[in-house]
Amino acid sequence: MIELAALLFFPGGLFVLLNGMAYEWVDRKLVARFQNRVGPRWFQPLADNVKLLVNEEVIPENVDARLFITLPVVALAGVLTAALYVPIAGFDPAFSFEGDLIVTIYMLSLLTMATGLAGANTRDRFSLIGATRTLTQLFSYEAPFLLAFLAPAVVAGSWQISEINDYAGDHLWLILTQPIGAIVALLGLMGKLEIPPFDAPEAETEIVAGALTEYSGRGLALFHLGRNVELVAGITLLAAFYLGGISNPIEYVLKTLAVLFVLATVQTAVARLRIDQTVGVWWRYGVLLVLLQWLALIGAEVIF
Amino acid sequence: MQRLERNWNTAIERIKTWARTNSPWVVHFNSGSCNGCDIEILAALTPRYDLERFGVELHGSPRHADVLICTGPVTRQARDRLLRIYEQMPEPKFVVAIGSCAISGGVFQGCYNIVGHIDEVIPVDVYVPGCPPRPEAIIDGVVKLLGKLRPSPKPVIEEPAG
Repeated sequence: MIELAALLFFPGGLFVLLNGMAYEWVDRKLVARFQNRVGPRWFQPLADNVKLLVNEEVIPENVDARLFITLPVVALAGVLTAALYVPIAGFDPAFSFEGDLIVTIYMLSLLTMATGLAGANTRDRFSLIGATRTLTQLFSYEAPFLLAFLAPAVVAGSWQISEINDYAGDHLWLILTQPIGAIVALLGLMGKLEIPPFDAPEAETEIVAGALTEYSGRGLALFHLGRNVELVAGITLLAAFYLGGISNPIEYVLKTLAVLFVLATVQTAVARLRIDQTVGVWWRYGVLLVLLQWLALIGAEVIF
Repeated sequence: MQRLERNWNTAIERIKTWARTNSPWVVHFNSGSCNGCDIEILAALTPRYDLERFGVELHGSPRHADVLICTGPVTRQARDRLLRIYEQMPEPKFVVAIGSCAISGGVFQGCYNIVGHIDEVIPVDVYVPGCPPRPEAIIDGVVKLLGKLRPSPKPVIEEPAG
């Protein structure tokens, strides 16, 4: 019974969805303020999602209708599952087992995979280009991102998120001891969320809306909500690992909002990278940086 | 029991209307205008006027949009495209015709390559006159459209007397 409540209301399910919409508003408001605008009202993401959910869903010609309808659900389910294993709101994760870090990171990738498949499923040139770019970008940031999140796990000597969280809380903040890993993890998260400078997959000036061009109504709303949940799960993971752990709600709000502030600042300050530049940045610099971090870690282990 | 069901339905309708009036996503189509109105529409979407505070977002795909903002007279070439874009939009959809040409054909009236004004091709909900209309007028047009969605006791646009 308690497990079901954890799954549906708190800390999973409903709470994560509302939290995700609130954080989307914070993000949009910050970007608007940086651009000297007033910005959206506080209920804007809620109104957007409710509107999309009650609108008609157009199923275009020449698509596999079953796949078209299922993919948004799979995407949202994947990220909601991932959110169950991270310390949302500063409480212990609702579910936990040895090795859940790997599962969480791959569940977060499920949204990207579903987006790519959704784009490839529709016979629209913009969707196809968007899907190609989404998957290309996935293969470029995924390895450095995973390595950046595994470094704290190796230091803590555990693959369990709650134990790494406890370790980060007891020791010096890992952003100070592993600064390169923190930067790569932050940039990887931006790549995962497809926000500037890594928004080539949904570049609206070139390819309309990327892989989701043909989605309307319910499907689009579910993908939007999935993105919001991914935002929450991602920055919670980042704050728990690199910003000294999350052990209570106040710490949760402060630390995740700090990460969100950095995300909003970087996304306002930079322009979009072309897709080949994105791949270049990740494989030329991202991987090298994170390997340097690993070398330093191994060196420290050997010396001390 | 029936009353309960009716109340439930009214509540759902109210939530739907609230969501729709607070999040109009627009798609912009030029069906043959001289670009004057398009520049004004883009000006209305810039940080100076900041339509995001009303929830208005410009989207590239007609599948994402609720409001089709349309400028210019309809040329023979643009007619099929305009129809196709309108049909691609999910229900409920609304059309705002921007500028004199969209209302009557304007200076292009009677040209050999012109079908006519926009509501000869698709139904229009709100007309914004002007050549070109100022961004404030465009924003006012969208607000009038949203006013039409809300069930209001008095009509938003008064008929001229006589």
